[in-house]
Amino acid sequence: MSAIAEDNGRRLSPHRQDKRRSALSFVVIFAGIALFLQAAFVVHARPQDLITGAHGIADILSRAWPPDFASLPDALWPALETVDIAIFGTAVAVIVAVPLALVAARNTTPARPIYVLARMAIALARVVPDLVWALIFVTAVGLGPFPGALAIAIHSIGMMGRLFAELIEDMDMGPVEALTMTGASRLAVFSHAVIPSVLPSLAGITLYRLDENIRASLVLGFVGAGGIGFQLLTAMNLFQYRTVAMLLVATFVIVVSAERLSAALRQRIA
Amino acid sequence: MSTPLIEVADLAMRFPARGRDDGHLALNGATMTLAPGELVVVLGANGCGKSTMLRCIAGMLRPTGGEVRVEGQAISGLSGRTLTEARMALGMIFQSAHLVKRRSVVANVLAGTLGRHRSLGIALGKLPHQETPHAMACLDEVGLAHFAPQRAGTLSGGQAQRVSVARALAQRPRALLADEPVASLDPDAAEELMTLLRRVAHQDGLGVLCVLHQPELARRFADRILGMQAGRIIFNHEPRHVRDNEVSALYVKRDASQRLAA
Repeated sequence: MSAIAEDNGRRLSPHRQDKRRSALSFVVIFAGIALFLQAAFVVHARPQDLITGAHGIADILSRAWPPDFASLPDALWPALETVDIAIFGTAVAVIVAVPLALVAARNTTPARPIYVLARMAIALARVVPDLVWALIFVTAVGLGPFPGALAIAIHSIGMMGRLFAELIEDMDMGPVEALTMTGASRLAVFSHAVIPSVLPSLAGITLYRLDENIRASLVLGFVGAGGIGFQLLTAMNLFQYRTVAMLLVATFVIVVSAERLSAALRQRIA
Repeated sequence: MSTPLIEVADLAMRFPARGRDDGHLALNGATMTLAPGELVVVLGANGCGKSTMLRCIAGMLRPTGGEVRVEGQAISGLSGRTLTEARMALGMIFQSAHLVKRRSVVANVLAGTLGRHRSLGIALGKLPHQETPHAMACLDEVGLAHFAPQRAGTLSGGQAQRVSVARALAQRPRALLADEPVASLDPDAAEELMTLLRRVAHQDGLGVLCVLHQPELARRFADRILGMQAGRIIFNHEPRHVRDNEVSALYVKRDASQRLAA
């Protein structure tokens, strides 16, 4: 008698639990479909446009063929600019993000208010997209590669600052305690216990970021921050589709080789 | 009897209250001494205050009452640079080795000398290479000189703990404080480590204060055994004078006596 009473009360039989679970999954699937349909409606998704537009696409492709490799020498300098925007931005970001992460990690911060400030700075740098930072800096310092490099630096400080701080928070604090006991100075404890433990992951994150930043640097050209992206935009506006095709090939080569190189280096460190 | 290296007098430590509880009294009038050249083992149940006492002596915790003197100098009142200098006389060994795993064994031992080298280069991560012969001598003392160039992460638990002893010795301390140094070691490695600590005391003349959980190891290696209960030292004998029922009482009556003390 009592067992049945309990069953009807708080506890559900396995059978009823199953029923409840399948009802729940039905609701989840239904909600997922509804979410997708409203998104399709809002973006005016009309697949038939792709079919009627196929003619236009074919037209552009035929006009882009063959890629105009004769103008490749003109693209070399902007290509270097694109890569250098990323290198400069990443380097500046590492120099700022490492000390910032030390005060933004709960276990190494000197004081709570400094920790909060550092975390806020990192969050602000991260949540504003690099494209928006680039627009701000183009307005401030004018067109050219420098605003692009600044934008990449600021955004990367946000991205790397958070990852570095988490790395330090997850670190084994034992060596820190042990070296503090030997009478070493605070800075010496950082450089001899914290840095050697986190250096490989730090280098890995930086290389990954460099690879991301080369891609970001290409896009930043579209808002006037120099590099191959700006060339691409100009060629598009002048309907020089064969130049566009060449620039796309160049872009592909840069991005893929950066990705490969970064991955290979990261593998060697690990 | 030589002059004491460490004197602990009437030490009290009350941890700050959290919520309704009026704070935990971890030490309640603990008194002891440590002389050069002796290995003293502290026995006691979990929570009896042995680690807290060690941390107060090392200056990692500030006691709420009583006094700690290291070579005659009161350590409890010191802070900042003077505390750092005073505690350089004390080498600390922890439950785990706390080595920087990605650095070489000899680099880890060299790190023990950082306190006495305060140049900018050292602060920025350079090792004091002029100390390498000394570091090698310390490694040789723990029997691991041939591991010097190897990464610390490749060592076994027992080897790593011996390297941490070498690091503590590289500091040129007068006393070693060891907080359950064999807790994470297998019996053979524990045996080896206790032999090493005894040799450091008897041959090099360092005072060694060691917290242990194993009464049988204490009996075999210690020159003196301190029994600790509810924040006090309740016996202090040479091992042959320690009675079995005294030791077992440390672990049995803990609950009742702690309630009385609180």
